[in-house]
Amino acid sequence: MTDLVTVLPELILSGTAVVLILVARRVRRARSAAPWVVVAAVAAAFSLWAFSPATSMTGFGGTIASDRYARFFSLLFSGNLALAALLSVRHLDSERVQPAEYFALLLLASTGMMFAVAAVDLLILYLGLELMTLCSYVLVGIVRDKPAGNEASIKYFFLGSFASALLLYGIALTYGVTGATDFSAIASTVSRNGVTRHPMLLAGVGLVSGGLAFKIAAVPFHAWAPDVYQGAMAPVAAFLSAGSKAAGLAAFVRVCLVAFAPEQRIWSVMVVALAALSVMTGSLLAISQSRMKRMLAYSSIAHAGYALLGLVPGTPEGASATMTYAFVYAFMTLGAFGVVIALGPRGENLNGYRGLSTTAPGTAAVMFLFLLSLTGIPPTAGFTAKFAVILSAVRAGYIGLAVLAVLCSVVSAFFYLRVAVLMYMTEPQESESARLPLSVFAALAIAAAVTIVGGIFPNTLAVWAVPP
Amino acid sequence: MREYTGIVVAFVLAGAFAAANIILASVLGPKKPSPVKAEPFECGQVPFALPIGRLSVKFYLTAILFILFDVELVFLYPWAVVYRTLGGSGLVEMVVFLAVLMVGFFYAWDNGALEWQ
Repeated sequence: MTDLVTVLPELILSGTAVVLILVARRVRRARSAAPWVVVAAVAAAFSLWAFSPATSMTGFGGTIASDRYARFFSLLFSGNLALAALLSVRHLDSERVQPAEYFALLLLASTGMMFAVAAVDLLILYLGLELMTLCSYVLVGIVRDKPAGNEASIKYFFLGSFASALLLYGIALTYGVTGATDFSAIASTVSRNGVTRHPMLLAGVGLVSGGLAFKIAAVPFHAWAPDVYQGAMAPVAAFLSAGSKAAGLAAFVRVCLVAFAPEQRIWSVMVVALAALSVMTGSLLAISQSRMKRMLAYSSIAHAGYALLGLVPGTPEGASATMTYAFVYAFMTLGAFGVVIALGPRGENLNGYRGLSTTAPGTAAVMFLFLLSLTGIPPTAGFTAKFAVILSAVRAGYIGLAVLAVLCSVVSAFFYLRVAVLMYMTEPQESESARLPLSVFAALAIAAAVTIVGGIFPNTLAVWAVPP
Repeated sequence: MREYTGIVVAFVLAGAFAAANIILASVLGPKKPSPVKAEPFECGQVPFALPIGRLSVKFYLTAILFILFDVELVFLYPWAVVYRTLGGSGLVEMVVFLAVLMVGFFYAWDNGALEWQ
């Protein structure tokens, strides 16, 4: 029974998904299913807090850990799930998506993310990530009569299965050298037998890192992100950009710091390359985008690079900075996508934001907050998180990388604040002001609260972010 | 190696017999080709479309439903072999697994995937 306690939040989410699948035909409106998803997410978050043991424990034969690291990210995924459910209500009814199936897939994808961050065994890690990705493929193409969504789904599926194959091949090579899939066993075998420079193990580290870099959309494994975010429904894009990235980062950090700890010189070179390329490519390509979701996709690529900066030194402080960054980024991107959703079809294009401050001053204000946070301007959480990751790169002696990150941050101010200029300094095109639905309002309020609190009291998050 | 000699002889004899029959049939047999005989042959049906045509989506549904039960069997067979050593906990776990699988089956049934229209 102690095994089951370690996966209690996962059990709650998957149990709710099973119930939703059973009653799928009786659920007609998204409005009647969404509250249950939010309740499940809150219950999962509550169970993390209430039934968690004081010390970290492992279950299922030492393959799943219930430590503070896993709980931190599981809390993030609960929040991500609740916000995505709140944001999707209106879209589902207008796009005529089957609500129960949609929410069941959201729940199962979140379950997969939680398994991926709790895994201390490469095979469980793979299983969790696959559960997440398989649900995401369907979610991206869930509006069946929209060609853009179908195209995005197919592209995501092909690239995603290729990345999964890379990951699995890396796991196989690592197993071939060390004879273990357990993280701590891999590390101890490597350091005991002195196989640190074993060519097979190097290939294994490289392939595992590549497979995980796909999930966080780091350059050069980023090609799927813009098409998928643009083709998918906005709530699905928000869910993926926050959840998939955080799950990939969490798995990446744990694999690097625990399993491949003796290989630090190898993977830190790769992380530096991934971070530098992502930050540059994401920021530069986002400049020329005229569609909001595509711009946010390139911005998410750049943010993957910033988050990886914390992993470069391989220290607990750096990992903690990466965790904080993933948390903060999840809420600010959910908020930015939330505004896109709140504006409806108008929000898809940059031109739709013209004069938003006169037609919908409240929506414009929260959008401005999220844009400031994405740029990294105080007093928002984006600033403190970015400060921490860049600081950890400086402390590790990567001054050039830190300078590059700051420069790209300046470049990114151009395309984020361009939206702010459109909202506040241009004349509105149309004068109709739509009222926000209550669910979208609640989601925006939560995201804005996290963004402000994380900026004013940066230590609240840092205390929670305990590296593996 | 001596015990394999018989197998090798059997292989050679079988190959020689098959080859001899094919060669004899092609040398001795009468040849009267006609357009009907040259047609590609598919289970007695006259082919009326290119082989790479559209396939009804219903077949994919059937294939996916097949996988549902196929995966079930993949897990049931090894479980049945070690059933006695696993004991009660193994039974409970397998019942949970089957219940989750049946949820998927019920979903397919409920949504009319089993009706062939």
